[in-house]
Amino acid sequence: MTWQPEADPWGFEAEPVETWADVVSAQAPDLAIMGAFFALALVSFHRKSVRLKYVTLVAAVLLLGVRSSFLLSIVNVFGVFQGELPVFRHNLAWYVFAGGTLLTTILFGRFYCGRVCAYGAFTQLMDTVLPAKWRIEIPHRIERRAVYIKFGVLAAVMGYLLITRDMSIYRYVEPFWMFGGFGTPIMWTGLALLLGVTVFVRNAYCRFLCPLGATLGLLSAVTVFPIKRWSECSTCRICQKTCEWGAIDEGRIIRTECVRCDDCERLYDDHAKCPHWRILDYQARGGRKVLPLRPVT
Amino acid sequence: MTRVTLVVCATLLTVASVAVLAQRHVTNPKPEPYLKQLFPEAVAFSPLEGTPLHYKAYAVDPAKTPGAKPIGYAFWTTDVTPKEYGYHGPIFFIVGLNLQGRITGAILDFDTEPYGYFSIQPKKFGAQFVGKSVRDPFRVGEDVDAVSRASISVASATRAIRDGSRIMARQFLNPADVK
Repeated sequence: MTWQPEADPWGFEAEPVETWADVVSAQAPDLAIMGAFFALALVSFHRKSVRLKYVTLVAAVLLLGVRSSFLLSIVNVFGVFQGELPVFRHNLAWYVFAGGTLLTTILFGRFYCGRVCAYGAFTQLMDTVLPAKWRIEIPHRIERRAVYIKFGVLAAVMGYLLITRDMSIYRYVEPFWMFGGFGTPIMWTGLALLLGVTVFVRNAYCRFLCPLGATLGLLSAVTVFPIKRWSECSTCRICQKTCEWGAIDEGRIIRTECVRCDDCERLYDDHAKCPHWRILDYQARGGRKVLPLRPVT
Repeated sequence: MTRVTLVVCATLLTVASVAVLAQRHVTNPKPEPYLKQLFPEAVAFSPLEGTPLHYKAYAVDPAKTPGAKPIGYAFWTTDVTPKEYGYHGPIFFIVGLNLQGRITGAILDFDTEPYGYFSIQPKKFGAQFVGKSVRDPFRVGEDVDAVSRASISVASATRAIRDGSRIMARQFLNPADVK
């Protein structure tokens, strides 16, 4: 006779889950939605499709924002350093989300800011819906300095957390709680003010204030697949004028600001607009050599 | 972005994180008000001791009546289920358990959950565990209220209270007394 373990006098139901199959099947819907979302985001990015990008933005607002309120926060940046993150086996979808963000940031830069963040997606959709004539374009010389504010915010928040260890500060420096729908009058007033400014200054929070964006911007220094540019880009300014994120300055892409929106890359491919192709066409007739495509440094 | 700015920001981040690492939250050293709340009829409590760490609640002072039996146990979820983290770090609940395996209370002392203020911090979250048996299922959305958009914090706190109570029951209670 084989040995039988003694009967458990307690016999609790729903003991901690045993196999990985149980763990995964219990979280299957969340995992599937998160996987599908990242697949959509990557396909829209790879195809450089405007239509798919907007589908991704709507999905980000509805699925990541309204449905599950999955938005990375400065609290998570802190958590990484402290080793205080959600339990892995119970939060697989969140890890797909956070891991996907980390990976895409290393590979492409602030991909998260451009099409995963539900708040960023929301303000980008605002920008599409609102009349363009309301928009105020900030003078370039002010803009190029204002982008540093978010690094100041990051340092200030880190300093504050360091001294007080009061995590609740995130509510006053990030609007991401809005998808949770619970706020104090002060928080709602701040949010209304921020969205009011965003009506006139596109993606104001993302470009100038977001400490998480600043963190991802710092990580973007290692971008493995940066945007490739033509040699003519050092003198041509078409992309700089097109860039809605103020991420191109003097013919150079500023990695901390670029959210991989694809606008400039679509231009590079446009034989009718991009001077590179125009020159090529001109030279094909004249017979001179063309400079090669190279990654921007 | 210049190289200098990059270096400055990276340094700030590193300094901040190292300093933060050095000051983690510790278990509240003055639990008496909580213990009184969990066991209002108790007159004495043991210090935090044993494996797993716990407080014993006594209806008669064991210093005057040697051999007095405890009427219940209280424990910190962070001591009994130390690996249970919420969205951001451990959630410090102190839980009372009577000899019948029923929870006498679950009180939140400290947490750093971003959505804690509308999920686990309101008193009604801890209050719903009062009277629950360790044999209950503790399923979020069924016998524990779900809070939309704060599922990670709520699920983690519920697991900590459930698993902690069951570990304590296995260790100190008699299964025959627990209906």
